[in-house]
Parts: sequence; structure tokens; C-alpha cells
Amino acid sequence: MKKAIMYVNQFFGQIGGEDKADFKPVIKCGLVGPAVELQKHLDAEVTHTIICGDNFIGSNTEKAMEIIMGFLKDKEFDIFFAGPAFQAGRYGVACGQVCKAVKEKFNIPVITSMHIENPGVEMFKKDMYIFKGGHSAAKMKDDVKAMAAFGNKLLKGEENLGADEEGYYARGIRHQVWRKDGVMAADRAVEMTIKKLNGKPYETELPMPKMDRVPIAPAIKDLSKAVIALVTSGGIVPIDNPDRIQSASATRWGRYNIEGIDDLKEGVYKTIHAGYDPAAADADPDVVVPLDVMRAYEKEGKIGRLHNYFYSTVGTGTTQGEAARMANEMIPYLKEDEVDAIILTST
Amino acid sequence: MKLEIGNFHVKDIIFGGSTSFSNGILTINKKECLDFVMSDEHITEAELYIVKPGDKVRLCPVKEAIEPRVKLNGDPLFPGYTGELVQAGNGKCHALKDCSLLVVGKHWGGFQDGLIDMSGEGAKYTYFSQLKNIVLVADTDEDFEKHEQQKKNKALRMAGHKLAEFIGGCVKDLKPEDVETYELEPVTKRDEKTAKLPSVVYVMQPQSQMEEMGYNDLVYGWDTNHMLPTFMHPNEVLDGAVISGSFMPCSSKWATYDFQNCPTIKRLYKEHGKTLNFLGVIMSNLNVALEQKNRSALFVAQIAKSLGADGAIVAEEGYGNPDADFVGCIVALEDAGVKTVGVTNECTGRDGKSQPLVALDEKLTAIVSTGNVSELIELPPMETVLGELESLARDGLSGGWANDEILGPSVRSDDSIIMENNAMFCGDMIIGWSPKTMREF
Repeated sequence: MKKAIMYVNQFFGQIGGEDKADFKPVIKCGLVGPAVELQKHLDAEVTHTIICGDNFIGSNTEKAMEIIMGFLKDKEFDIFFAGPAFQAGRYGVACGQVCKAVKEKFNIPVITSMHIENPGVEMFKKDMYIFKGGHSAAKMKDDVKAMAAFGNKLLKGEENLGADEEGYYARGIRHQVWRKDGVMAADRAVEMTIKKLNGKPYETELPMPKMDRVPIAPAIKDLSKAVIALVTSGGIVPIDNPDRIQSASATRWGRYNIEGIDDLKEGVYKTIHAGYDPAAADADPDVVVPLDVMRAYEKEGKIGRLHNYFYSTVGTGTTQGEAARMANEMIPYLKEDEVDAIILTST
Repeated sequence: MKLEIGNFHVKDIIFGGSTSFSNGILTINKKECLDFVMSDEHITEAELYIVKPGDKVRLCPVKEAIEPRVKLNGDPLFPGYTGELVQAGNGKCHALKDCSLLVVGKHWGGFQDGLIDMSGEGAKYTYFSQLKNIVLVADTDEDFEKHEQQKKNKALRMAGHKLAEFIGGCVKDLKPEDVETYELEPVTKRDEKTAKLPSVVYVMQPQSQMEEMGYNDLVYGWDTNHMLPTFMHPNEVLDGAVISGSFMPCSSKWATYDFQNCPTIKRLYKEHGKTLNFLGVIMSNLNVALEQKNRSALFVAQIAKSLGADGAIVAEEGYGNPDADFVGCIVALEDAGVKTVGVTNECTGRDGKSQPLVALDEKLTAIVSTGNVSELIELPPMETVLGELESLARDGLSGGWANDEILGPSVRSDDSIIMENNAMFCGDMIIGWSPKTMREF
């Protein structure tokens, strides 16, 4: 039989109320509080209950995590539950923190439950399954039952029908599915148009996510002292593409030393980007990574100096998620050399 | 403009003595068809196959799909491309339904080419898995692009269009089983009842992002990169005025078959005079530079407004960079007071966590979503492969790769495959076929 472990706070762990909120984490064999209810519905053995005070985990997060991870390191378990936390803010955040750490360390499914107004929802919904829970402990049975039902699905490898249908907060994870009714896009589009034109309600299939806009940086006051770096999504690489950066949907990037180089020569550098006509870039890679011009500016004293490397990847078909990851990997190198500004060239 | 399409429903396709159609059976004289294909000096090898739903056949690299048809007045099926420039969208044509002519490279594939499975788990990913197909597998003398990732596929595509027309000729003098009639009165000459209904335009954004000629979709043989948005009669689109190009990751593409049968146009026709007044098609395009994108959006909004459109449906043949054209066009229409619905696929990554379109705007309030280009797909080996499966891994197909340290190569030694949805032939069916949508998990 599969095994489960549950996390609860000092109140639901039957240690005490607010006066016991500094309670240090303990692990108990068997079922305490909500774990009893969980066991009723779960097709797995709930072997342990972990209990910790909300204040303790809030003010000593690192220490609490260390203790809890210590409890778990020699345990066998296939799934982890926390809460339900209802509208209790500190408890919700604690459930989120513990679930996140368990998922990262043990790579097993984690499930919790919170009321929509619990701050833990916004903080952790992208990292785990948080079920849409009740306002208060009066909803305990319903909330635990929902968590258990979905836990059973995951343990049996059954199909996840999606956030709305299952009842958890959307995690920002979108995948394609085949509609059960098979209605084709043309019919959906025309019907949506008729509804929109007649002021009738309709449901968009792509709700606009929150815009992740980066404000434009303030201008550099004195360019003659600035360190400038060149970064491109235009796929310029040394001719043998040493980092094997993909021509589309890239997950790799490279940094290439340009000390003592004034010009990116044809035959020495090229583009491996599959989303545009490479002829001009191959003939003169400076048209994408303008090293020649930057060196001229350097000599003229227009800029302080050029950073010793240029950075390259391929933008076509590359996801925003991968692009952000690659940028985060590049940043430490740029910071280390105190780069003031980047010229980011596309294609 | 009045277009009558006489339908001949193909129940089976066989090879036989003469290319003919009788009692639902399409017979292909292989030698005659191959001789016709080989009459183009650029075609160096050619073979014909027949594949049907349920056959254990995998096709790759697939380059085009065309519905075999013939124009009864002798006009070319694809004016300005397979023949002289004449008006499309008027008169009578005969069509072989429930089948298509597929063009597959004998060896070489490219960024824009795709894969079709006729059975098994992979069959759900493409529309053409549901059709009976005549498959032309051929090679050409276009050595200059053999190792190019971006291929124009000029000779192969032309061979496909001409062969579809050649085969379509066999039903020219026969009586169709049924006739579809498409007729729209001029915009200002519609009956009172229709004129009072909310009026709608269909804005098509065909793929046109290559600056060099030879890759883009063509309108009457004219490269769509070299045009500004223009008003077209929907019959022109259904009747061969627009042909597919050879650029863009394959699942986002529209085959020529898709233009000939555009389900969004057909549904708008069905609603015409009942729930809406279908004004027609604004044929826009997709561009590379921001100014070009903005210019096209400006033209679309102006044409829609001048026509008095209350609503619009915008569909893009592409993803990634073209999302900027798509979003810009919808914003321009909404700003002009035209209530707009968009049809697009998404790129949320293999893990589903990425931003769905590269550009977003809160004015996009009504979107129909047709799939995720980066969905990872693993499929077992197939008994028969037409073409060269290795091309998926070797030739830079948008959904394939030569090697990956975690996933390994796209094509494994036992001919099982792992790929992104990107390389499924016209798989996201943005033209309107898609039964797929996107869901939050």
C-alpha cells in the first residue's frame, strides 16, 4: 500500500491555541486531527503527522524546514498533504512552504487546501496543488475529502481533468487537450463572435495572464565611463557552435570571448538561428552582434569599455520561460564585471 | 460572385488501368500520373502511394496537402501559379472530397515540413490522418537547398498542385453527387434583413515573413510579403486563389487544402443572413519589422471600419514572432470599435508554464485556442514509413532534433519517435479544424 504523511499546525495538531504557536516541529506516528479524516478517504496509509506552531515556522523558517526535512529523510512516502489552512494566513503560508520544500526535495506530489483570501494562495499556487477550500474549520470534512480524492487520482495515475474541474487553483500550467464534444475551432470562433456581438456571455479560451512587463531602465548619465555588453537572441556563434545551441526552441546559450577581436568575421562566426534568412548575418556577423561599431565607440571614448564576452542564444520558438532562465544564468557574469548596460539585439 | 463546388465523395482509392472515378472509387493510373510528374525536369525520382485512415503508415517529411479539383471552364485550379492569371471564386468546379494529395520528400526535410501518422496514437494530431490520401513521394534536383534548414520546396510543391489538378480532371465530365453553392451579394446590395444583422469580416493572416521570395503563401501567385491587406471575396480563398507556402513550424501552417476548404469561411457562410452578415475576407499578412506589422494592422482596421464591420475573426498562420501581428491587429480592430475574436495556437512550453503568446494585451477578450506547439509527443514505431523518417531528426524540422542529452534523438534506432507538436503537419489547425483547446492544469 502507498504511504502518505500530513502536516498540520499546533491548533489542528491538538497541542494548543495561539499560546502554543511557538511550538517546535514534532513528528508523530499515526493520525492526529485532520489526518484522521484524511485516512477515511485516502487509498493510502497515512503513516505520520507532522505538527508545528505557526509562529515558530513563521519566524524560524529555515530552522523549521531543516527539522521537518530531517524528520522525512528516512521515511517512505508517496504523497504529502498539508492543512487544510482555510483563511488562516500564517498557517496557509506554512503549508505552502512545507509543501514546496517537500516537493523539491523528494519529488512527490504535494496537496494542500486554502480559502481564496488566504495569502498562501497567491504565494504558492504556481508551485503545488492548492484546493479551493472553505473559510473556516467548519469546512474541514469537505476540504480534506477533496484533497484525498485528488490524491487518490494521482496515486493511481488517473487523468487530471484540469484545475477548474478538479477544484484547485490554476497553477499557470497550460496544456492542449482534445475537447470531449469535438467541436472544432471554426464553430467555436463563429459562435463566440455571435455572442460577443450580441452582448451575451462567452468564455475566452485564453484568459489574458498578468502582464510581465519590465520597465525601461533609466538612461545612463555618462556613457563614456559605462561598461557595455552585447547579448543576442540572433544565434551568432563561433563557426563550430561549441555549445550546440539549438536552431529553434533553444534551451542553451553561450558566452564567447572577444578580447582583442574588433570584428566578427565571416567564416569565423555564423548564425545558427532558423527563424530568419541567415545570408546577411553569415556574410557579416556584426550586423547582428555589432562588435565592429562598439569597438569604434570604445576607441572614440564614446563608451567606457566593452565587456569581454558576447552572449548568444536563439529566440525563434524559444519559450518565455526558457528565455528568462537563460537570462538569469547570464546575469551573474555581467554583474561580476560591473556591466552598466546591455545592448540586446534580435534579428 | 457565385461558386458551385460539385462534390464526388471518395470512399476508396485504388491503383488501376485509367485514372477515373466511379461509384465512390477513385482509380489512379500510377504510370500516367508519374509520367505527368516526371515531365517536370526538376523532379528526379517519384513514386505514388495510397494511404487510408487506420493504415500503419507514418509520413515524413510532409510538405503540402491539396484537394484534387478541376474547373469546368478550363481555368487553372490555382490561377497565377499553375496557370494563367484569371479570376477565382466564380463558376463551377468539381472536387474529390474526403481525400487529399500529400507531397512527401523522398529524402530531405526542413524547418517547415511535418509528420502524419495514419493510425495509432499519432493519428489524432493531424487532420489529414482522417482522409484518404494519394501520396507523392519525390526528390528533386534542387541540390542548393538539400542541406538548408529553410527549404522553398518549389519543385515538389508545384508537382503536388499540378498533380492534384491532373487527377481532379477525371471528374470533369461527371455528374457530382451534391453541389455546394457559395454566393454573396455585393456588400452594398444585400437584402434588408441581412443588412440589418451584425456584419462580420474574417481577417486571415497567412504566413509571409520571409523577405526572400519563394517561401511565403501566394495570393494569385503573388508573394504575400509584397502585399498590403486587401479585401477579398471568400469564394476566391475557397477556389484556389491562395496557396500554402514553405515557412513556419509545421503545426502552425495552413496547407493549400485548408484554404480550399476553410471551415471558418464555411461556418460564416452558414450563418450569413441568419445571425450575421458575412462581409467577406480581409486578406492581411504576417511581417518581420514592427513598422510593417503596424502598417498591416492599420490597413485591416481601416478596411473593416470602411466596410462597416461590427465584428471580426482574426486568425494567424504562425506563432512566436507573428503573435505580435495577431495581437496588434486585434487591438487595432477593437480600438476601431470592431468586436473581435482571435483564433491562434499557443507556445506554453513542454512544461506548460511559459507565456502563451509572445505579445499580450488586455484587449484580447475573446480567443479560441487550438493547441500548444511545444507539447512533447512520444510515438511507437510504425510498420511503414513513406519518405525518410530520419529527416525529422537530421534536417531541422521544427519539432525534431538530432540529439538531446536527456531525451536522446528524435528518431530512435527502432524507429520510435519523440518530437514536439511543432512538427505535426498543420497539426494545430488554426484554419478552424482543431478539436483541441488549452486547459489550465
